[in-house]
Amino acid sequence: MGQGVHMQELPGIGKRYDIDLGRRDSRVSVVVRRDGTRDLYVFTSRSADPTVIELDEEQARKVSAVLGGTFFEA
Amino acid sequence: MHAELLSLGALLLIAGLIARGGRRFGLPTVPCYMAAGILFGPGTPGPVLVESPEDLELLASLGLVLLLFHLGVEFPVEQVLASGRRLFLAAGSYIGLNVTAGLVLGLALGWGAAEALIIAGALGISSSAIVTKLLIELRRLTNAETPVILGIIVIEDLFLAFYLALLHPVLSDAESALELARDMAVSFLFLAMLFALARYGARLIGALIGSREDELLAVLMVGLLLVVAGLAGEVGVSEAIGALMIGLVVSRTEVRDRAERVVLPLRDVFAAVFFVAFGLSIDVADLGPVAVPVVIAATMTLVVNLAAGIVTARLFRFNQRAAANVGLTVLGRGEFSLILATLALAAGLDDRLGPFIALYVLVLAILSPLLASRSYLFARLIPDRLLRSSWRYVREETISTSCAHLDQIVVTDTDVDECRRCVETGDDWVQLRLCTTCGNVACCDDSRNKHATGHYAESSHPIIMTLEPGEDWRYCYVDEQLVREPMTRRGSR
Repeated sequence: MGQGVHMQELPGIGKRYDIDLGRRDSRVSVVVRRDGTRDLYVFTSRSADPTVIELDEEQARKVSAVLGGTFFEA
Repeated sequence: MHAELLSLGALLLIAGLIARGGRRFGLPTVPCYMAAGILFGPGTPGPVLVESPEDLELLASLGLVLLLFHLGVEFPVEQVLASGRRLFLAAGSYIGLNVTAGLVLGLALGWGAAEALIIAGALGISSSAIVTKLLIELRRLTNAETPVILGIIVIEDLFLAFYLALLHPVLSDAESALELARDMAVSFLFLAMLFALARYGARLIGALIGSREDELLAVLMVGLLLVVAGLAGEVGVSEAIGALMIGLVVSRTEVRDRAERVVLPLRDVFAAVFFVAFGLSIDVADLGPVAVPVVIAATMTLVVNLAAGIVTARLFRFNQRAAANVGLTVLGRGEFSLILATLALAAGLDDRLGPFIALYVLVLAILSPLLASRSYLFARLIPDRLLRSSWRYVREETISTSCAHLDQIVVTDTDVDECRRCVETGDDWVQLRLCTTCGNVACCDDSRNKHATGHYAESSHPIIMTLEPGEDWRYCYVDEQLVREPMTRRGSR
């Protein structure tokens, strides 16, 4: 795993990735379920509970393309 | 034929719709399918879609076999073996407590010894499907206790295989002790053969069914599954074990991932038929007389689960909230309880087992999501002295994520017993903290100079641990949370 990305197996569900953003006020975890669904867990210091967004594979690709710097003209 | 298609179709459609409605309220699907069978079966006044569960016998047994096959295919052997002693202890105490309690209740009911064994299994083994769905819905996938919960249910699945093997001779109609011993020997011999196949013959099986086309893979795989399950039934080991074991064999082949994907929709449909068919066999009038035992059983399961949650939390040094989460999430009972009930009824054990287990599964299906989502209330009931006292001030907080800085822990012990910077300026301190990255010892935030926090500001070394005698905790500045120990490292008390 890359620097600051921590992977953990969740038997029966999939894989969980904790991404260290190097900041104290926010943190992101992604759970990739075996059926392809991604759960995006966003922790901020504002609330103890995470904000969770469920993405299917197509949506996850869209988000990751934009995050990865692929710009769409549309 | 068309009449049978119509009635089966209508029943499945209704079962699916009931389950879909139930999902809105967070109810698991298995009890909903069963309820559809009960409501539209011959044992309940009102419309009857299928006259007798025997009409669905073949399809239902296909469902049972596919359920166990899928369980075998997805069984994470390596992860379980690598999961360590603590997880086995936690799972062992969970299973031990629950099965023992079930056995005691079963014997107390006085329905018979074989019946007590069935009750022990049905009360003791939780539903993997219900637990995983609950964790996803309650958004607890990143909680510290979640890998432990998942580990426990996986080990429970393993236990189920052995329990089925153990139960088999009890369910068979052996006349003498000799015959019983022979039955047991045959069971375990067959199991040993399948284990050997799983260990050494996976390539062979992979070559047999491993077509590159999904269509052929599905056909070959289901064919193989039915042959092995049927053979298992034929030699007197139950179909259930045969299916589970051949699933384990397939899980060791190269086609594992595809096999799992291909078999999943088949399993879902036929398992639903199995649950509906079980519901058909239940007469509503029989539910009343078993209500009191069911209430006792459900209460007992709740108490025992919380106890097991506390044991687990102690083992992993979790807090109260995590203890309650463990106990209440693993509360759901479903497919395995119904499988055991089906096996018992097929073997001609006490008729009350069917309605008893049906009602028990229904009650817990409603209770478990309700209680699990309110686990913080139960966390308040757990006294501090049951868990480590030094975790006290986080008792209601979840340790929500494991800290990502554990790799920076280098130093965990020191001889220094003073804050040197305070000594230089002649100040006092309250408690001492050790920087686990460089070993710097400094005063805490209750002290006037807060040198430990100052050290973090200068060095960005993330984790400190307390040097206060009798206390044992670590805190991560970056994540602003108490840090639990990594699961792989053994705790030193």
